[in-house]
Amino acid sequence: MLKEKMMTAACAAAALTMGLAASTALAETPSWCGPNEASLALLDGFGGNSWRLVTTASGAEEAAKCPSITQYEYADGQGDTQKAISDINSMAARGINAMVVFGDAGPAVLPALTNAHRAGTIVVPYRVNVGGEEGVNYAKFIGSSFFEDGVSWGNWIKEILPEGGNLLFLSGPAGNSQGIDELAGMKSVLDDKYVFINPEPFAVTNWDPSLTQQVLSAEIAKNDKIDVIVSDFGPSLVGALPVFAEFGRSIPALATSDGNSLSCFWEQNKEANPDFKLFTVATGNDNVRLAVQWAVALATGGTPPAEEIFKAPVFENSVTGEPNPVTCRPDLPGSIYLSAEMADDAQAKAVGQ
Amino acid sequence: MAQYHQAAGQDAPGLDLRSLKPARGFVTVVISTLALIVVCAVFAPSAISAGGLAGSLPFAAIIAIVGLGQMLVVQQGGFDLSLAGGVSLAVVITTHMSGGDDAQLFTSIAFAFGCAVVAGVVNGLLVGVLRLNAIVATIGMNALLYGAVFAVSGGVPRITTPLMAEIAGGKTLGIPHSVLFALGIMLLVAFVLKKTVIGRRFEAIGANPAAAHAAGLKVQLYQAMAYVFAQLHYCVAGILISGITREPTAFQGDSLLLPSVAVVVLAGTSLLGGRGFPISTVIAAFFLNQLSQFALAVGVPFSAQTIIQALALVFGIGVYSLRWKQAATKRALKSKMEETDNA
Repeated sequence: MLKEKMMTAACAAAALTMGLAASTALAETPSWCGPNEASLALLDGFGGNSWRLVTTASGAEEAAKCPSITQYEYADGQGDTQKAISDINSMAARGINAMVVFGDAGPAVLPALTNAHRAGTIVVPYRVNVGGEEGVNYAKFIGSSFFEDGVSWGNWIKEILPEGGNLLFLSGPAGNSQGIDELAGMKSVLDDKYVFINPEPFAVTNWDPSLTQQVLSAEIAKNDKIDVIVSDFGPSLVGALPVFAEFGRSIPALATSDGNSLSCFWEQNKEANPDFKLFTVATGNDNVRLAVQWAVALATGGTPPAEEIFKAPVFENSVTGEPNPVTCRPDLPGSIYLSAEMADDAQAKAVGQ
Repeated sequence: MAQYHQAAGQDAPGLDLRSLKPARGFVTVVISTLALIVVCAVFAPSAISAGGLAGSLPFAAIIAIVGLGQMLVVQQGGFDLSLAGGVSLAVVITTHMSGGDDAQLFTSIAFAFGCAVVAGVVNGLLVGVLRLNAIVATIGMNALLYGAVFAVSGGVPRITTPLMAEIAGGKTLGIPHSVLFALGIMLLVAFVLKKTVIGRRFEAIGANPAAAHAAGLKVQLYQAMAYVFAQLHYCVAGILISGITREPTAFQGDSLLLPSVAVVVLAGTSLLGGRGFPISTVIAAFFLNQLSQFALAVGVPFSAQTIIQALALVFGIGVYSLRWKQAATKRALKSKMEETDNA
């Protein structure tokens, strides 16, 4: 049954592993890749969007750098907690040495992870907090610092709006911890001059473009002055931002995460919208690479990386051009992420376009 | 008699049971909508500002169109849970098959309609002819449709073509095109249901299939066709979504299932089948959409937004049940009084 779940990405990765193992083994092996042979599995709680496809392909690419990894498997939980749990159990039963797990269902997958850990598998959950303790329930948790993202946004907002102003913060489903951490990050650098006009803690969009559109038009109608929009999923705003034109207003400054469609949208609309400044942090596909490095290091006897938390770097800044100016690649699909380490055309292939 | 009329007028203002009975759903939904507009004007004027409406009306139009489709099925005493899959499939076909290329757009739209007809015919056969439970059959169809959604898209969203964005998202004389589409479809459905022989038979079969069968009407055919035409509505809605939302997800239909049933019920169509109220359904869609805009504009927390919508629905449905009972009691009372008077 698991064979069915293996996606083309996994097959490609296995082939890559073999190919690369043969050709580059003599070249350079990263320090996290130890001498002991091991098998590795990447378990996704939900694999059905372009961000996940790029992330999965990135994980496979990272694993292929280590010739000691002899077998690479992938399973997609398809957003179904039961399936995610049974994927973990069956990978453990098959004797996979190390697994990197995107635990979308949170603590619900912890018992399965704990069982696998006790059975001797190296378990590395990443990005989504699954509860539990390192060394007891799993080997290592590789978190992502959403707080750090909030700090980056907050600092940029202070630069472009030193006198303070009105901020609108949009995040995903109600109460998601990512949004709450980001808000805490922003509040750690912004004082009372900066007013959040959304309901506490953030306007709920479920990261759904059509709900985002409805929420945004309601907020624009309600507030005459919005100085900055902050969103943790930039590309979902692309459909919604033209709403400002309905009100005869300029799109305001935007602090968010990157995406090719968003950058191209900025490129097309900056002339008509004088206030439209754009600042992005990397959307974090490379979080999986750090988790893979840890899992491989622990399973093959390599040296673990120094970092334990993935900090998304600042990616684009339309005001200073540092570290990058806004970059649109109209020749590539809108649903790829130029901030990801993976090559652009490989990403285009990963999202099937 | 005159005295009684007055009494009835006091209890239920503006509702003369005899003359207005056909329009009870209409009256309720219009009064509720007007009340909501007044409440918006007082507490959240931004929700009914021109810009606010321009942003929200396209989504009301989408709910209206799927609501009309669901209404046809409910009129035959069924439920169509394959709505989510039908809408999502139309969305991914129009975005993925066209691949952002205007020249491919109409081929992809034609293909989407083809898929909708197939899905509708299968639903119709299962429910209308093989007499499967509508909920079970359409849940199965929904899973199949989602299989197709994944096959077409791999779950990945894609950006719509500029032409589609213009067709669905553009405006003529300040009115969003999606609203024009919804109004056009409403007029068509209302005309066919109320003014043609086919439509009258359709309603008669919904009201009493056994009697219609005895009268020699092709009950199974009409019941099956309800599912086909419902799918065509979902298909139109999906195609419009692909133009309104620049980069729609592959699961855009999921959030429409509940509203589609809600507007049908709010408009007064009985879940047991029978008469349909297309115009009321469209007004109910505006009402439901405006209600969420109101909650957003007031700026209450998300939990409260959900509760407000739920309460409005319970209230709407509650109003119907209460009125029916009151009316029944009164009618009984009246006939008794008349009997006594005569005696």
